[in-house]
Amino acid sequence: MRCGNGIEARQVDELFINIDPIQAGGRLTSDAMKAVIAYGDGYSVCDNCRKPNRLDYIAKPPIAEFHKDVAKWLNMDAVRTVPGARRGFQAVAHTYVKKGDPVLLTSLSHYTEFLAVEESGGVAREIPANEQKIITPDATAEKIETVKKEFGRAPVLAFIDHVDYQYGNMHDVVGIAKVAHQYDIPVLYNGAYTVGILPVDGKALGADFVVGSGHKSMAAPAPSGILAVTAEREKEVFRTTAIVGDVTKRQFGIKEPEMMGCTLMGVTLVGMMASFPHVKERTKHFDRELANHQIVMDALLSIEGTACLSEYPRKHTMTRINTIASFDKVAETHKKRGYYLQSALEEKGITGVIPGATKVWKFNTYGTTRKQAEHLARSFVEIARENGLAVKG
Amino acid sequence: MSKRAVDMTFQAIYTLTDLRILLRETAPSHEFDANQKTQAQRLLENLERQVGSLKQEILK
Repeated sequence: MRCGNGIEARQVDELFINIDPIQAGGRLTSDAMKAVIAYGDGYSVCDNCRKPNRLDYIAKPPIAEFHKDVAKWLNMDAVRTVPGARRGFQAVAHTYVKKGDPVLLTSLSHYTEFLAVEESGGVAREIPANEQKIITPDATAEKIETVKKEFGRAPVLAFIDHVDYQYGNMHDVVGIAKVAHQYDIPVLYNGAYTVGILPVDGKALGADFVVGSGHKSMAAPAPSGILAVTAEREKEVFRTTAIVGDVTKRQFGIKEPEMMGCTLMGVTLVGMMASFPHVKERTKHFDRELANHQIVMDALLSIEGTACLSEYPRKHTMTRINTIASFDKVAETHKKRGYYLQSALEEKGITGVIPGATKVWKFNTYGTTRKQAEHLARSFVEIARENGLAVKG
Repeated sequence: MSKRAVDMTFQAIYTLTDLRILLRETAPSHEFDANQKTQAQRLLENLERQVGSLKQEILK
Protein backbone atom coordinates (compact mmCIF):
# COMPACT_ATOMS: atom_id res chain seq x y z
CA MET A 1 0.00 0.00 0.00
CA ARG A 2 1.30 3.41 -0.91
CA CYS A 3 0.58 6.82 0.61
CA GLY A 4 2.26 8.79 -2.15
CA ASN A 5 4.38 8.35 -5.23
CA GLY A 6 6.93 5.73 -4.24
CA ILE A 7 6.14 6.11 -0.54
CA GLU A 8 5.12 2.87 1.06
CA ALA A 9 2.62 3.21 3.90
CA ARG A 10 4.59 2.48 7.06
CA GLN A 11 2.94 -0.29 9.08
CA VAL A 12 5.89 -1.33 11.23
CA ASP A 13 4.19 -0.82 14.57
CA GLU A 14 0.91 -2.36 13.44
CA LEU A 15 2.52 -5.56 12.16
CA PHE A 16 5.41 -5.99 14.60
CA ILE A 17 6.47 -5.45 18.16
CA ASN A 18 9.07 -2.76 17.58
CA ILE A 19 12.00 -2.83 20.03
CA ASP A 20 14.16 -0.28 18.23
CA PRO A 21 16.09 1.44 21.03
CA ILE A 22 15.36 4.99 19.90
CA GLN A 23 11.80 4.59 18.60
CA ALA A 24 9.95 3.18 21.59
CA GLY A 25 9.11 6.36 23.48
CA GLY A 26 8.26 8.38 20.41
CA ARG A 27 5.40 6.25 19.13
CA LEU A 28 2.35 8.46 18.80
CA THR A 29 -0.69 8.22 21.00
CA SER A 30 -4.09 7.99 19.38
CA ASP A 31 -4.71 11.67 20.15
CA ALA A 32 -1.43 12.66 18.54
CA MET A 33 -2.33 10.73 15.39
CA LYS A 34 -5.68 12.54 15.28
CA ALA A 35 -3.99 15.91 15.80
CA VAL A 36 -1.55 15.11 12.99
CA ILE A 37 -4.47 14.43 10.65
CA ALA A 38 -6.15 17.72 11.53
CA TYR A 39 -3.02 19.90 11.59
CA GLY A 40 -0.97 18.50 8.72
CA ASP A 41 -0.96 21.73 6.73
CA GLY A 42 2.19 23.83 7.04
CA TYR A 43 1.09 26.87 9.04
CA SER A 44 -1.90 25.16 10.63
CA VAL A 45 -1.23 26.35 14.18
CA CYS A 46 -0.90 29.94 13.02
CA ASP A 47 -4.58 30.59 12.16
CA ASN A 48 -5.04 32.52 15.39
CA CYS A 49 -1.61 34.01 15.80
CA ARG A 50 -2.12 37.55 17.08
CA LYS A 51 0.20 40.23 18.41
CA PRO A 52 2.87 39.86 19.78
CA ASN A 53 3.12 37.21 17.05
CA ARG A 54 5.10 34.52 18.68
CA LEU A 55 4.36 30.81 18.76
CA ASP A 56 4.36 30.46 22.54
CA TYR A 57 1.70 33.19 22.84
CA ILE A 58 -0.89 31.48 20.64
CA ALA A 59 -4.04 30.71 22.66
CA LYS A 60 -5.94 28.65 20.07
CA PRO A 61 -4.92 25.85 19.86
CA PRO A 62 -3.72 26.24 23.48
CA ILE A 63 0.01 26.53 22.75
CA ALA A 64 0.63 29.20 25.40
CA GLU A 65 -1.04 27.03 28.03
CA PHE A 66 0.98 24.01 26.90
CA HIS A 67 4.24 25.90 27.43
CA LYS A 68 3.19 26.82 30.98
CA ASP A 69 2.03 23.28 31.71
CA VAL A 70 5.30 21.72 30.54
CA ALA A 71 7.33 24.16 32.66
CA LYS A 72 5.23 23.32 35.72
CA TRP A 73 5.42 19.59 35.02
CA LEU A 74 9.23 19.70 34.86
CA ASN A 75 9.42 22.11 37.83
CA MET A 76 11.22 24.69 35.72
CA ASP A 77 10.30 28.34 35.06
CA ALA A 78 10.11 28.76 31.30
CA VAL A 79 9.84 26.44 28.33
CA ARG A 80 10.21 26.66 24.59
CA THR A 81 9.54 23.93 22.10
CA VAL A 82 12.47 23.12 19.81
CA PRO A 83 12.97 20.98 16.68
CA GLY A 84 14.61 18.12 18.57
CA ALA A 85 16.76 17.95 21.71
CA ARG A 86 19.82 18.87 19.65
CA ARG A 87 18.37 22.33 18.96
CA GLY A 88 18.01 22.76 22.71
CA PHE A 89 21.68 21.88 23.19
CA GLN A 90 22.56 24.29 20.41
CA ALA A 91 20.61 27.20 21.92
CA VAL A 92 22.24 26.78 25.33
CA ALA A 93 25.75 26.23 23.96
CA HIS A 94 25.43 29.24 21.67
CA THR A 95 24.40 31.40 24.63
CA TYR A 96 27.17 30.43 27.01
CA VAL A 97 30.10 29.02 25.04
CA LYS A 98 32.58 31.30 23.32
CA LYS A 99 35.57 30.37 21.19
CA GLY A 100 38.14 28.41 23.19
CA ASP A 101 35.91 27.87 26.22
CA PRO A 102 36.17 24.45 27.86
CA VAL A 103 32.85 22.59 28.10
CA LEU A 104 32.17 19.54 30.21
CA LEU A 105 30.65 16.51 28.51
CA THR A 106 30.94 12.85 29.41
CA SER A 107 32.40 9.79 27.75
CA LEU A 108 28.78 8.70 27.17
CA SER A 109 27.48 12.00 25.77
CA HIS A 110 25.45 12.03 22.56
CA TYR A 111 27.26 13.32 19.48
CA THR A 112 24.85 16.23 19.06
CA GLU A 113 26.08 17.65 22.37
CA PHE A 114 29.59 17.64 20.94
CA LEU A 115 28.39 19.31 17.75
CA ALA A 116 26.61 22.01 19.72
CA VAL A 117 29.87 22.75 21.55
CA GLU A 118 31.88 22.66 18.32
CA GLU A 119 29.55 25.06 16.55
CA SER A 120 30.08 27.60 19.33
CA GLY A 121 33.86 27.19 19.18
CA GLY A 122 34.07 25.41 22.52
CA VAL A 123 36.52 22.71 23.52
CA ALA A 124 35.08 19.36 24.62
CA ARG A 125 36.37 17.81 27.80
CA GLU A 126 34.83 14.50 28.83
CA ILE A 127 34.20 13.15 32.30
CA PRO A 128 35.23 9.50 31.99
CA ALA A 129 32.76 6.78 32.92
CA ASN A 130 33.89 4.23 35.49
CA GLU A 131 34.16 0.47 34.80
CA GLN A 132 30.42 0.10 35.34
CA LYS A 133 29.87 2.77 32.65
CA ILE A 134 28.59 5.24 35.18
CA ILE A 135 29.48 8.94 35.43
CA THR A 136 30.07 9.84 39.06
CA PRO A 137 30.26 13.12 41.03
CA ASP A 138 33.84 12.25 42.06
CA ALA A 139 34.92 11.83 38.43
CA THR A 140 33.21 15.14 37.68
CA ALA A 141 35.15 16.96 40.39
CA GLU A 142 38.38 15.39 39.21
CA LYS A 143 37.75 16.40 35.60
CA ILE A 144 36.88 19.97 36.54
CA GLU A 145 40.15 20.27 38.44
CA THR A 146 42.03 18.89 35.42
CA VAL A 147 40.29 21.41 33.15
CA LYS A 148 41.13 24.26 35.53
CA LYS A 149 44.78 23.30 35.38
CA GLU A 150 44.69 23.07 31.58
CA PHE A 151 42.69 26.24 30.85
CA GLY A 152 43.24 28.30 33.95
CA ARG A 153 39.48 28.39 34.49
CA ALA A 154 36.53 26.10 35.03
CA PRO A 155 34.33 24.84 32.18
CA VAL A 156 31.59 27.29 31.19
CA LEU A 157 28.87 24.67 30.83
CA ALA A 158 28.24 21.00 31.67
CA PHE A 159 26.11 18.59 29.65
CA ILE A 160 24.89 15.65 31.72
CA ASP A 161 22.77 12.84 30.29
CA HIS A 162 20.51 11.43 32.99
CA VAL A 163 20.15 8.20 31.03
CA ASP A 164 22.80 7.77 28.36
CA TYR A 165 22.11 6.54 24.84
CA GLN A 166 24.88 3.92 24.84
CA TYR A 167 23.96 1.78 27.84
CA GLY A 168 20.70 3.25 29.07
CA ASN A 169 22.43 3.70 32.43
CA MET A 170 21.17 6.18 34.97
CA HIS A 171 23.68 8.68 36.28
CA ASP A 172 23.70 10.63 39.53
CA VAL A 173 22.64 13.99 38.11
CA VAL A 174 21.92 15.44 41.55
CA GLY A 175 25.45 14.66 42.76
CA ILE A 176 27.09 15.76 39.52
CA ALA A 177 25.12 19.04 39.39
CA LYS A 178 26.06 19.76 42.99
CA VAL A 179 29.74 19.44 42.13
CA ALA A 180 29.37 21.55 38.96
CA HIS A 181 27.56 24.30 40.85
CA GLN A 182 30.38 24.47 43.40
CA TYR A 183 32.45 25.75 40.47
CA ASP A 184 29.59 27.97 39.18
CA ILE A 185 29.17 25.78 36.11
CA PRO A 186 25.60 25.79 34.76
CA VAL A 187 24.21 22.31 34.15
CA LEU A 188 22.28 21.17 31.10
CA TYR A 189 20.26 18.08 31.92
CA ASN A 190 19.87 15.91 28.83
CA GLY A 191 16.55 14.17 29.33
CA ALA A 192 16.24 12.69 25.84
CA TYR A 193 15.57 9.29 27.41
CA THR A 194 13.77 10.49 30.54
CA VAL A 195 11.50 13.48 29.88
CA GLY A 196 8.20 11.84 28.96
CA ILE A 197 9.34 8.43 30.19
CA LEU A 198 9.78 8.82 33.94
CA PRO A 199 9.21 11.66 36.44
CA VAL A 200 11.64 14.58 36.01
CA ASP A 201 11.89 17.42 38.52
CA GLY A 202 14.38 19.88 37.06
CA LYS A 203 15.01 21.91 40.19
CA ALA A 204 15.32 18.88 42.45
CA LEU A 205 17.88 17.50 40.01
CA GLY A 206 19.83 20.75 40.12
CA ALA A 207 19.40 21.49 36.43
CA ASP A 208 19.73 24.97 35.00
CA PHE A 209 18.39 23.66 31.70
CA VAL A 210 16.27 20.61 30.95
CA VAL A 211 16.22 19.31 27.40
CA GLY A 212 13.73 16.67 26.26
CA SER A 213 13.09 14.95 22.97
CA GLY A 214 9.55 14.87 21.64
CA HIS A 215 10.15 12.20 19.03
CA LYS A 216 12.30 10.06 21.29
CA SER A 217 10.36 10.15 24.53
CA MET A 218 7.22 12.30 24.38
CA ALA A 219 5.12 10.41 21.83
CA ALA A 220 5.48 13.24 19.33
CA PRO A 221 6.31 13.56 15.63
CA ALA A 222 9.87 14.42 14.62
CA PRO A 223 11.66 16.72 14.93
CA SER A 224 10.39 17.97 18.26
CA GLY A 225 11.63 18.62 21.76
CA ILE A 226 11.57 21.02 24.65
CA LEU A 227 14.06 23.33 26.34
CA ALA A 228 13.15 24.30 29.89
CA VAL A 229 15.14 26.78 31.95
CA THR A 230 15.22 28.32 35.42
CA ALA A 231 14.12 31.92 35.91
CA GLU A 232 17.77 32.88 36.40
CA ARG A 233 18.64 31.63 32.91
CA GLU A 234 15.46 32.63 31.11
CA LYS A 235 16.55 36.14 30.14
CA GLU A 236 19.87 34.79 28.85
CA VAL A 237 18.81 31.87 26.64
CA PHE A 238 15.46 33.35 25.68
CA ARG A 239 16.71 36.91 25.22
CA THR A 240 14.80 38.87 22.61
CA THR A 241 16.16 40.35 19.41
CA ALA A 242 17.85 43.74 19.39
CA ILE A 243 18.84 43.95 15.74
CA VAL A 244 17.79 46.92 13.58
CA GLY A 245 17.89 47.14 9.79
CA ASP A 246 19.94 50.14 8.66
CA VAL A 247 17.74 50.97 5.64
CA THR A 248 14.30 50.02 6.85
CA LYS A 249 14.96 50.53 10.57
CA ARG A 250 12.99 47.36 11.05
CA GLN A 251 13.01 45.64 14.42
CA PHE A 252 11.55 42.26 15.22
CA GLY A 253 9.66 42.66 18.45
CA ILE A 254 9.93 39.81 20.92
CA LYS A 255 11.38 37.20 18.58
CA GLU A 256 14.14 35.20 20.24
CA PRO A 257 17.39 34.76 18.26
CA GLU A 258 18.25 31.38 19.82
CA MET A 259 14.83 30.10 18.75
CA MET A 260 15.14 31.74 15.30
CA GLY A 261 11.72 33.24 15.90
CA CYS A 262 9.01 30.61 15.97
CA THR A 263 10.12 27.02 16.43
CA LEU A 264 7.70 24.13 16.03
CA MET A 265 4.72 24.60 13.80
CA GLY A 266 2.01 22.26 12.61
CA VAL A 267 2.13 18.53 13.30
CA THR A 268 5.24 18.47 15.48
CA LEU A 269 3.87 20.86 18.05
CA VAL A 270 0.25 19.79 17.98
CA GLY A 271 1.27 16.13 18.09
CA MET A 272 3.38 16.78 21.17
CA MET A 273 0.53 18.76 22.76
CA ALA A 274 -2.06 16.08 22.04
CA SER A 275 0.13 13.38 23.59
CA PHE A 276 1.05 15.49 26.60
CA PRO A 277 -1.76 14.46 29.01
CA HIS A 278 -1.04 10.80 28.23
CA VAL A 279 2.70 11.34 28.55
CA LYS A 280 2.28 13.03 31.94
CA GLU A 281 0.22 10.09 33.11
CA ARG A 282 2.54 7.39 31.77
CA THR A 283 5.57 8.77 33.61
CA LYS A 284 3.78 7.85 36.85
CA HIS A 285 3.75 4.20 35.82
CA PHE A 286 7.35 3.62 34.80
CA ASP A 287 7.48 0.71 37.26
CA ARG A 288 5.15 -1.23 34.92
CA GLU A 289 7.52 -0.59 32.04
CA LEU A 290 10.45 -1.85 34.09
CA ALA A 291 8.48 -4.95 35.09
CA ASN A 292 7.79 -5.72 31.41
CA HIS A 293 11.44 -5.10 30.58
CA GLN A 294 12.50 -7.51 33.30
CA ILE A 295 10.41 -10.27 31.72
CA VAL A 296 12.45 -9.87 28.54
CA MET A 297 15.73 -9.53 30.42
CA ASP A 298 15.08 -12.71 32.38
CA ALA A 299 14.51 -14.57 29.13
CA LEU A 300 17.60 -13.18 27.43
CA LEU A 301 19.81 -13.85 30.43
CA SER A 302 18.51 -17.41 30.62
CA ILE A 303 20.23 -18.04 27.28
CA GLU A 304 23.71 -19.27 28.16
CA GLY A 305 26.46 -16.91 27.08
CA THR A 306 24.26 -13.81 27.04
CA ALA A 307 25.34 -10.90 29.23
CA CYS A 308 23.84 -7.54 30.09
CA LEU A 309 26.31 -4.73 29.38
CA SER A 310 24.12 -2.10 31.00
CA GLU A 311 23.88 -1.62 34.75
CA TYR A 312 21.86 -4.36 36.35
CA PRO A 313 19.19 -4.50 37.79
CA ARG A 314 17.88 -2.25 35.08
CA LYS A 315 16.64 1.24 35.82
CA HIS A 316 15.59 1.95 32.24
CA THR A 317 13.92 0.00 29.46
CA MET A 318 16.72 0.55 26.94
CA THR A 319 19.45 -2.04 27.39
CA ARG A 320 22.73 -2.97 25.74
CA ILE A 321 23.20 -6.69 25.52
CA ASN A 322 26.18 -8.89 24.65
CA THR A 323 25.33 -12.05 22.71
CA ILE A 324 28.81 -12.83 21.38
CA ALA A 325 28.84 -16.13 23.28
CA SER A 326 25.25 -17.02 22.34
CA PHE A 327 23.45 -15.72 19.22
CA ASP A 328 26.73 -14.79 17.53
CA LYS A 329 28.01 -18.37 17.88
CA VAL A 330 25.08 -19.48 15.75
CA ALA A 331 25.86 -16.81 13.14
CA GLU A 332 29.29 -18.37 12.54
CA THR A 333 27.72 -21.36 10.81
CA HIS A 334 24.20 -20.25 9.94
CA LYS A 335 23.46 -19.93 6.21
CA LYS A 336 22.03 -16.46 6.78
CA ARG A 337 25.12 -15.56 8.85
CA GLY A 338 24.45 -12.66 11.22
CA TYR A 339 21.13 -11.90 9.56
CA TYR A 340 19.49 -15.02 10.89
CA LEU A 341 18.55 -13.39 14.20
CA GLN A 342 16.72 -10.47 12.62
CA SER A 343 15.07 -12.88 10.20
CA ALA A 344 13.96 -15.23 12.98
CA LEU A 345 12.66 -12.33 15.04
CA GLU A 346 10.69 -10.97 12.11
CA GLU A 347 9.10 -14.38 11.57
CA LYS A 348 7.85 -14.05 15.14
CA GLY A 349 6.56 -10.53 14.53
CA ILE A 350 9.42 -8.66 16.17
CA THR A 351 11.46 -5.85 14.64
CA GLY A 352 13.89 -3.13 15.68
CA VAL A 353 17.12 -5.07 16.17
CA ILE A 354 19.79 -3.82 13.76
CA PRO A 355 19.96 -6.21 10.78
CA GLY A 356 23.04 -8.42 11.07
CA ALA A 357 23.66 -7.61 14.73
CA THR A 358 24.42 -10.69 16.80
CA LYS A 359 27.31 -9.46 18.93
CA VAL A 360 26.38 -6.35 20.87
CA TRP A 361 23.05 -4.64 20.35
CA LYS A 362 20.48 -2.51 22.07
CA PHE A 363 16.75 -2.82 22.45
CA ASN A 364 13.96 -0.98 24.20
CA THR A 365 10.71 -2.48 25.45
CA TYR A 366 9.09 0.82 26.41
CA GLY A 367 5.38 0.87 25.62
CA THR A 368 4.92 -2.85 25.18
CA THR A 369 1.98 -4.50 26.87
CA ARG A 370 2.56 -7.35 29.30
CA LYS A 371 1.37 -9.79 26.64
CA GLN A 372 3.83 -8.35 24.13
CA ALA A 373 6.68 -8.52 26.66
CA GLU A 374 5.87 -12.19 27.23
CA HIS A 375 5.83 -12.76 23.47
CA LEU A 376 9.27 -11.14 23.21
CA ALA A 377 10.63 -13.25 26.05
CA ARG A 378 9.21 -16.46 24.61
CA SER A 379 10.50 -15.64 21.13
CA PHE A 380 14.11 -15.04 22.19
CA VAL A 381 14.15 -18.33 24.09
CA GLU A 382 12.54 -20.22 21.19
CA ILE A 383 15.06 -18.82 18.69
CA ALA A 384 17.90 -19.80 21.03
CA ARG A 385 16.56 -23.35 21.41
CA GLU A 386 15.81 -23.71 17.69
CA ASN A 387 19.45 -22.90 17.02
CA GLY A 388 20.90 -25.27 19.60
CA LEU A 389 21.77 -22.77 22.31
CA ALA A 390 21.45 -23.87 25.93
CA VAL A 391 18.74 -22.18 27.96
CA LYS A 392 18.75 -22.23 31.76
CA GLY A 393 15.62 -23.25 33.60
CA MET B 1 -21.76 19.78 1.26
CA SER B 2 -22.01 20.67 4.92
CA LYS B 3 -20.14 21.11 8.14
CA ARG B 4 -21.75 17.85 9.21
CA ALA B 5 -20.13 16.02 6.28
CA VAL B 6 -16.74 17.45 7.23
CA ASP B 7 -17.27 16.50 10.89
CA MET B 8 -18.30 12.96 9.93
CA THR B 9 -15.22 12.59 7.72
CA PHE B 10 -12.96 13.48 10.63
CA GLN B 11 -14.98 11.31 13.03
CA ALA B 12 -14.60 8.32 10.75
CA ILE B 13 -10.85 8.85 10.38
CA TYR B 14 -10.56 9.17 14.16
CA THR B 15 -12.52 5.98 14.70
CA LEU B 16 -10.15 4.22 12.33
CA THR B 17 -7.24 5.76 14.23
CA ASP B 18 -8.52 4.18 17.45
CA LEU B 19 -8.72 0.87 15.60
CA ARG B 20 -5.15 1.37 14.40
CA ILE B 21 -4.02 1.79 18.01
CA LEU B 22 -5.79 -1.44 18.90
CA LEU B 23 -3.85 -3.17 16.15
CA ARG B 24 -0.61 -1.76 17.54
CA GLU B 25 -1.41 -2.87 21.08
CA THR B 26 -2.10 -6.40 19.93
CA ALA B 27 0.72 -6.80 17.38
CA PRO B 28 1.88 -9.13 16.03
CA SER B 29 -0.92 -11.71 16.51
CA HIS B 30 -3.84 -9.25 16.70
CA GLU B 31 -5.64 -11.70 18.95
CA PHE B 32 -8.13 -9.60 20.90
CA ASP B 33 -9.16 -10.40 24.45
CA ALA B 34 -12.79 -9.93 25.49
CA ASN B 35 -12.36 -6.22 26.31
CA GLN B 36 -10.58 -5.53 23.07
CA LYS B 37 -13.28 -7.36 21.10
CA THR B 38 -15.94 -5.21 22.78
CA GLN B 39 -13.91 -2.10 22.02
CA ALA B 40 -13.41 -3.13 18.38
CA GLN B 41 -17.10 -3.89 17.98
CA ARG B 42 -18.05 -0.48 19.36
CA LEU B 43 -15.58 1.26 17.07
CA LEU B 44 -16.79 -0.63 13.99
CA GLU B 45 -20.42 0.18 14.83
CA ASN B 46 -19.50 3.85 15.20
CA LEU B 47 -17.67 3.72 11.90
CA GLU B 48 -20.69 2.22 10.14
CA ARG B 49 -22.89 4.94 11.61
CA GLN B 50 -20.43 7.65 10.59
CA VAL B 51 -20.11 6.31 7.05
CA GLY B 52 -23.91 6.07 6.88
CA SER B 53 -24.24 9.71 7.87
CA LEU B 54 -21.61 10.65 5.33
CA LYS B 55 -23.54 8.86 2.58
CA GLN B 56 -26.67 10.78 3.56
CA GLU B 57 -24.84 14.11 3.55
CA ILE B 58 -22.77 13.66 0.43
CA LEU B 59 -25.06 11.68 -1.83
CA LYS B 60 -28.35 13.40 -0.99
